[in-house]
Amino acid sequence: MSLLEIEGLEVTFGQTAAVRGADFSVARGETHCIVGESGCGKSVTSLAIMGLLARGATRRVRRMEFDGRDISRLSERDMSRLRGHRMAMIFQEPMTSLNPAYTVGSQMAEVRTRHLGGTRQAALDRAAELLGRVGITAPGMRLGQFPHQLSGGLRQRVMIAMALMNDPELLIADEPTTALDVTIQAQILRLLAQLQADLGLALLLITHDLGVVARVAHRVSVMYAGEVVENAATADLFAAPRHPYTRGLLDCLPIPGKVAPGAPLGSIPGMVPKLTPGFSGCGFRSRCSLAHEACAAPVPMRGTAHLFRCVIDA
Amino acid sequence: MIPPDGRSAERRGELKRPGSSTPAIEIRGLQKHFRVKQGLFGTAKQVRAVDGVTLSIPAGATLGIVGESGCGKSTLARLILGLLPPSAGEVLVEGQNLLRLDRRARARLIQPVFQDPFSSLNPRRRIGDIVAMPLVAQGTAGAKTRARVAEMLEQVGISPDMAGRTPAQLSGGQRQRVAIARALVLGPRILLCDEPTSALDVSVQSQILNLLGDLRRGLNLTTLFISHNLAVVEHIADTVAVMYLGRIVEEAPARALFANPRHPYTRALLASVLTPEPGLGVPDVGLGDVLPDPANIPPGCRFHPRCPVAIARCSVETPPLVDGAECHLLA
Repeated sequence: MSLLEIEGLEVTFGQTAAVRGADFSVARGETHCIVGESGCGKSVTSLAIMGLLARGATRRVRRMEFDGRDISRLSERDMSRLRGHRMAMIFQEPMTSLNPAYTVGSQMAEVRTRHLGGTRQAALDRAAELLGRVGITAPGMRLGQFPHQLSGGLRQRVMIAMALMNDPELLIADEPTTALDVTIQAQILRLLAQLQADLGLALLLITHDLGVVARVAHRVSVMYAGEVVENAATADLFAAPRHPYTRGLLDCLPIPGKVAPGAPLGSIPGMVPKLTPGFSGCGFRSRCSLAHEACAAPVPMRGTAHLFRCVIDA
Repeated sequence: MIPPDGRSAERRGELKRPGSSTPAIEIRGLQKHFRVKQGLFGTAKQVRAVDGVTLSIPAGATLGIVGESGCGKSTLARLILGLLPPSAGEVLVEGQNLLRLDRRARARLIQPVFQDPFSSLNPRRRIGDIVAMPLVAQGTAGAKTRARVAEMLEQVGISPDMAGRTPAQLSGGQRQRVAIARALVLGPRILLCDEPTSALDVSVQSQILNLLGDLRRGLNLTTLFISHNLAVVEHIADTVAVMYLGRIVEEAPARALFANPRHPYTRALLASVLTPEPGLGVPDVGLGDVLPDPANIPPGCRFHPRCPVAIARCSVETPPLVDGAECHLLA
């Protein structure tokens, strides 16, 4: 059984259905990527799992289990016991998620003492050990520094180390390298992949970058207009995408060696539809060249290992 | 490590295009240094944002400029646009020094397209007025303005019926199309794009890249394309310049540079690109932890603290320019 199991997740913000149907699971030792374009609901999905949705959001879910336990009805207090402890999260912009007024050491130590108690010194030792683990040299010195004294890449390493303070089983990373240069991105992703394998973490990685997905994911969920439209093992998804949106997205990429320089790239005409709460059916049908009447009705997921939400056989 | 003669000839041969006597842009020994104070009472430091750039872009060609944040690529863009005076050196656009031209003449020669179409368009104006603005500024607006704006919008794939809308009513891709229409409405010969697709989704990025390609060929534009996305640059550029701490450390025709990168920094940069090919994992780029700081440029070769193959000489002597790349190991 998987560590995290999500079935029929829906989130609405007033007149917007941000997530209309997300089903996926993440096993221990597995990296699962949720990929999609802006507004597809991928970040909202991750916040919904962590119980961090903004006020005014409504979450409905058929099943949401963490390590076999139903977490859909946990009180805020019980949820905050899990968060930062058995499930931890890394955000895109480390500068806004680290507190500028506290040193790296005191922020990291607090994560430990708050959940597990113990002395501050023991927590600082643990912090220093983890900073070393994420490839930061002179960890003792870094503990005394403030976030603004660190580069973007270092800050993201600090965020990762902080997320690991209490040995989480599930790590959710929302666009962890999007704000970084490509060279630093490669270093951070390499580190995450290594930690994931060494510690047997279940890693849920949210990204818009299909290159990142291809290189680090074991399994992928493609989201479009609030729904998971395809869910497959990474190699299968790239070799034989089944959903028209996934195929369209892959055609848009200038892939050296596959697309000749200067040759026209594929594109997806049209725009994402407005997702009012009553919206039903395939969210991609207004942009899909294969769409017909059946697409206006709710489309179930098909397939067994390679799942896709499309009525057309492709 | 002297390259075989065949390769050098190919590199040199492609760099110079026959029949283009006056390059569209000629940059000689360009420098831009800023004085910045660090902290409230700190001493002023000199940031060498652009530190000796020499480049030549033939008319009709597309030059891609790549590099990490802080390498000086956006400062170089502002110098080329004439928005900043250089500390030393000069920029000639079609043989003329931009700083001696007034703003209107400059605007007729070269136009920018910026990264973020959400902040580069005035939210309170209608898009028809936004595209007409350069004509108004030139004092050439008149009876034909509306027709010219409609023609321009059509050319970038926006229905002229939408001229009455404001930017907020458009998608990100449509806004970038409007920004491109505004840049081209005066008929400039040079377009400078600074990260034009970085704020856009993949499916929209491909549309904008296709549009830029069509316009470039149709209008025979000279294009500077600044980007951190190497796959995009490889797709669109004829020649690529790799910037590191204010200098161009390698310049070569796109095909040669991507097939056969010579500078260790170019090699690291290319290695860090994650192409969508499953099973390859994330490469070890081998650049270490030291980050480039334009306020504190290392002596010798400025890349040597991060270079995986540096030798003793690299930290002392300025590297020679060998066949388009500045590196001791190539001499």
